[in-house]
Amino acid sequence: MSDSFSRDISRDLDRDMSRSPEILMVDDNPADVTLVRESLAETVYQSHLHSACDAKDAIEYLQRMGKYRTTVRPDLVILDLNLAERNGHKVLSLLKSDAELRQIPVIAFSSSRSPQDIARSYEAGANCYVNKPADLKRYFSAARAIEEFWFGYAVLPPRESNDRSSHAHSAD
Amino acid sequence: MATAANGKPENKLRLLLLEEKGTGQDPMVWEMEYNGQTLPGDPKPTPAKLHEWLAAKKICTCEAHRQAEADLSRKLEEFARSNSELEQLAHVASHDMREPLRMVSTYTQLLAERYRGKLDKNADQYIDYATDGALRMQAMVQSLLALAQVNVEAKKNQTVDGNVVMAEVLRDLEPAIRESNAVVQCSQLPVLRINHTHALQLFLNLIGNAIKFRSQSADAPPNVGIRAMPAGPLWQFSVSDNGIGVARESQEMIFAVFQRLHTRTEYPGSGIGLAICRKIVENYGGKIWVESQPGAGSTFHLTLPAQEALQS
Repeated sequence: MSDSFSRDISRDLDRDMSRSPEILMVDDNPADVTLVRESLAETVYQSHLHSACDAKDAIEYLQRMGKYRTTVRPDLVILDLNLAERNGHKVLSLLKSDAELRQIPVIAFSSSRSPQDIARSYEAGANCYVNKPADLKRYFSAARAIEEFWFGYAVLPPRESNDRSSHAHSAD
Repeated sequence: MATAANGKPENKLRLLLLEEKGTGQDPMVWEMEYNGQTLPGDPKPTPAKLHEWLAAKKICTCEAHRQAEADLSRKLEEFARSNSELEQLAHVASHDMREPLRMVSTYTQLLAERYRGKLDKNADQYIDYATDGALRMQAMVQSLLALAQVNVEAKKNQTVDGNVVMAEVLRDLEPAIRESNAVVQCSQLPVLRINHTHALQLFLNLIGNAIKFRSQSADAPPNVGIRAMPAGPLWQFSVSDNGIGVARESQEMIFAVFQRLHTRTEYPGSGIGLAICRKIVENYGGKIWVESQPGAGSTFHLTLPAQEALQS
C-alpha cells in the first residue's frame, strides 16, 4: 500500500476487541472486492473481508450452509445491488425479513445513482446507501469511511453467544 | 437516405401513392413535405392540416385523402417512437457503460498509484494517457446521461420565478464570479412556465459560459447582462457578455454535442452545456441562438414560455 493511501489513526477506540470485525462483501465483480480489500488492508480495524460472488453464495454464507457451516455471522454486509440472477435487492429483502439476520447492518454499495434504486434499498431496510465512486481515492476513502463509521463509532448489536473469539473459517 | 424496394426514397411514399392515382401533382411539394416532415410553412403537420392542405391543393380523391392521412399518422408515430428509442438508447448506453468504465478508470489510477516511477519513463507516460482518457470518457458519459435525461414532456405545466432561479444561479457561480471579478447584472425576470431544474441548468450553463469564456486581458473583467422582454406568446431572454466571442461560422456548431472550439486546457468542460440548453429550450417550444463577433463578446438569445406579466 502506497503512503498516500495509508492512514494514521491512533485513537483509542471503544469497541469490542475480542475479535476483528467480520465483513461480508456481496459483489459479482472481483475487481470491486479487490478494491475494497486494498482499501481496508492497512487500517487499524484489521477487518476480515469475505466475499460472495452471487446471491446464492451470499445466502448460503449468511445462513451458514454448505461450505460456510463454520463461519461466524458477519458484523456488516456490503452489498452490490446489480447481481445476476436473484439480484442484490433480493438478498437485501431476504436478509431484512429474517428475524436474526436483520440485525446485521447492510450497506448498499452500488454504482447506480437511480433514485428508484436508492429508494428501494432504504424501503427494503438497507442501513445506508453508498455510491461506488469512480475516482480511486474517493473509492478508498468511501470504503474506509464505512469501516470507520461502523466499527469505530456505531455500536453494533451483540454478537451471537456461540461466536467464538477466533474466526473459524475464511470464505475465500 | 433509405430506399424502399422499388428504388424510390422510402419517405416519399405518399408521392408514389399519388402517382399511382395518376393525379400528376407537383412532386416538389410532396418531397418537401416528406423529407422535412413539414407542410409548407407549418412545422407541426397533423392529419387534419394535411386534409386541409390537400383540399386547398384540390387533390380531392377521397382515397388519396384517406391514405395520405393514414400515412402521415404512421410517419408521425414512427418519428415519435424513434425519438424515444434514441433517448432510451442514450440512457442505457451511458448507464451501462459507466460500470466497465469505472473499472478502467479506478484500475489505471491504481496502476499509477502503485507503479509510478517503478517501471520506466515511457510506462509512466502511458499510464497517464490511459488515466486521463478514462477520466475524460467518464465525464462524457456523465454528460450524455444528463442530456438524455432532459425530459420535458411531463413537466410542461410547471412554473418557476425567474428571479428565484437567477438568485440560485448566482449563488452557485459565486466562486467563479469572485475569482474573475465578474459583474453580473440582471433585469427583473418573469415567472417562467418551465421546470425549476431545467431553468437552473439553462441559466447556469449560459452565465457560467459567459464568465468562463472571458477575454484574457486582466483589465476587462467579465461583464454579464441578463435581460427579458415579451416576444409574442413567449418571452425572449438574452445573456450578453464581453468575452472572447464566437466566429460566425462556428455559431451553429457550438450547440452540438461534444463540439468544442478550444482545447480542454484553454477552457475546461465537457462540451455539452449548450447542447443541453438547446434541448431544454426547444423542448419547451422555444429557440436559442447566438449573436457574436470574435473579440466583441456574445449575446445568447432564447425564447421560452412565461406567464404574461412580470412579478413586481
